[in-house]
Amino acid sequence: MALRVRIASILAGLAGCWLLDALCRGLLRESEQRLVVLAGLYVTLAVSLNLINGIAGQFSIGHAAFYQIGAYTAGYLAFFYYGKLPLQGVPWLVAMLLLGMITAALAGLVVGLPSLRLRGDYLAIVTLGFGEIIRIVVQAIDLTAPTGEQVGGALGMNVEPRIRIIGLVWLFALTCIAVTRNLCKSSHGLALLSIREDEIASAAMGVQVPKMKVAAFMIGSAFAGGAGVLLAHSESFISPSMFPMDLSFIVLTMVVLGGSGSITGAVIAALTLFYVPEYLRGLKAPDGTALTATGASLLGWVAAVVAAVVVVRWLAYRYRGTARQRALGYLLTAVGVLVLGRLLGWGLSFLPALQQAEYEVQKLRMVIFAGSLIVIMLVRPEGVLGRHEFSWDRLARVLRRQRPKEATG
Amino acid sequence: MSLLRLEKATIRFGGLVAVNEVSFEIAPGELFGLIGPNGAGKTTCFNLITGMYRPTSGRILFKDKDIAGLPVAQIVRLGISRTFQNIRLFGSLTALDNVVVAAHLHRRANLVDALLGDPRSQADTERLRAEAMRYLSALDLQDVASARAADLPYGKQRRLEIARALATQPDLLLLDEPAAGMNPAEKEDLAGVVRRLRSEFGKTILLIEHDMRFVMGLCERIVVLDHGEMISEGPPDHVRNDPKVIEAYLGEAV
Ligand SMILES: Nc1ncnc2c1ncn2[C@@H]1O[C@H](COP(=O)(O)OP(=O)(O)OP(=O)(O)O)[C@@H](O)[C@H]1O
Ligand SMILES: [Mg+2]
Repeated sequence: MALRVRIASILAGLAGCWLLDALCRGLLRESEQRLVVLAGLYVTLAVSLNLINGIAGQFSIGHAAFYQIGAYTAGYLAFFYYGKLPLQGVPWLVAMLLLGMITAALAGLVVGLPSLRLRGDYLAIVTLGFGEIIRIVVQAIDLTAPTGEQVGGALGMNVEPRIRIIGLVWLFALTCIAVTRNLCKSSHGLALLSIREDEIASAAMGVQVPKMKVAAFMIGSAFAGGAGVLLAHSESFISPSMFPMDLSFIVLTMVVLGGSGSITGAVIAALTLFYVPEYLRGLKAPDGTALTATGASLLGWVAAVVAAVVVVRWLAYRYRGTARQRALGYLLTAVGVLVLGRLLGWGLSFLPALQQAEYEVQKLRMVIFAGSLIVIMLVRPEGVLGRHEFSWDRLARVLRRQRPKEATG
Repeated sequence: MSLLRLEKATIRFGGLVAVNEVSFEIAPGELFGLIGPNGAGKTTCFNLITGMYRPTSGRILFKDKDIAGLPVAQIVRLGISRTFQNIRLFGSLTALDNVVVAAHLHRRANLVDALLGDPRSQADTERLRAEAMRYLSALDLQDVASARAADLPYGKQRRLEIARALATQPDLLLLDEPAAGMNPAEKEDLAGVVRRLRSEFGKTILLIEHDMRFVMGLCERIVVLDHGEMISEGPPDHVRNDPKVIEAYLGEAV
């Protein structure tokens, strides 16, 4: 039975990726296809960092380094060997994928070792430093092509061959999700979680803490490295500026925002945080010109959102009522925000200074983005999904309108 | 033959000698008590035996093998498990999962099987879960199996600590003040549980406890520590009447 479910899920995964690939090729423009690829890579990064940070509880903030190591493994190997070996196209990409994962896993081993002695903020600083060292070292390595031209270093380098297969990228993301989920469902996953909870008690129960920590680092890094290889071949160009420190922080934000430890949360947050800025970037007024907003309406919305945050926090933490009443409260708040925002905007528009100031929404997109992060963390500090996971069983129960069996006691 | 033997076990923290040349022996199947006033060095003894501290000098023999300074996880494998005085459960895991973590020591599937979601690994985890459930039931915790450990009432948390320690399948079980903070009825219950740990599970038990009535009624032999020194050893009746012990407790009812 279990075997049949397994085979079915693998086939479903393959079919899903193939379908996604076909649909994207058929319906999307080249630039949009690229976004779908990048989204898949971000999902992989977030889920793999979640394994290290959320599940094993090792505060690592240099995840972009492993991504970069994967990308440059592919880059350097292509520079030296592509065309000289009887390997081309997709088989070459798959070989690079494996090598990139191995290299990144070894780097994960190196970074994992300090985690045996350091905890919390100290470990965070080490991982951050490691990330910067990798970036700077790569920046310092110049290569001379046979044509005599300088490549690599700060200028970046071309990576051959250019292969952008949406299906493959997402298959890799799915593999990362499946592996992490398998782990979480096993006693090995519980052993990792116990390290996050209390390292000393964990060792006292026989968990081989050093081995498990390093394993988490290596597995998480390997997937980030694989994502880097896919990035290098999809873009066909890499440079150190593609792996800034911000990237590590964005991935970390995805993990925290989704709910540290929740795979489902990491996936949802990765997709949202990736697409929202892209969506805001493309926002246009109906007549095709740049969308603008007056100072009055912007200020109105900000004030309304702040008020809503206060109300939601009160509902969530102070309000003593039934779940149904609370849900109604949330609904009313949502409606209230829409009404209040407009109303305040209208009221403020009587102040000429505010009414005359015009802003392009596109240029404010990162402000809106950062503001939404603050709002979410205020409203739900444990992340959107907390530590919950999506499960078919629960979905089925909800659809059959059964309440989940609660623990008594 | 003794199961555990301390030979002049000593540990110093800077100028403080927390445990000073302590020697005692525990035979298999014994119910052994370790008592002493606050700060006497009892918990430190546990930390020495379980490998959390390395002794400054002296030997700690378990099944005739010197275990002093071995890694903690290694000593658990040899068959010693403990509970903590200041409860250290895995707070956000369920009660059942707390016990599964300890039972994980006896897994058959390896990490690669787990990552691949191999049916063997799944079956193995199910087996550990069933086993963990048995230990929960032994401590009458089956009803709270799926509650978060941190949400359990204090008495149940103490019992969960014992269930968790039991799941590593130790030969020697160290209980650090298992009855602390319990009311008399709960203590009576717990004494029954401890006796069953020996009769049903065949464990040898070393326990620290402040409640004299509890220890005297339960243990067959007792060691008394004071300021890191062993001041008395013997059956409860002997210890109770030892002038040194009475002095250490300064008139407290012993
Ligand atoms: N890691 C450490 N570093 C320094 N001193 C320590 C350390 N661990 C214990 N001590 C000291 O050793 C002495 C014995 O402590 P221990 O915890 O063993 O006492 P105890 O007998 O368990 O007392 P209680 O009944 O209060 O639990 C205390 O003075 C304590 O401060
Ligand atoms: Mg103590």
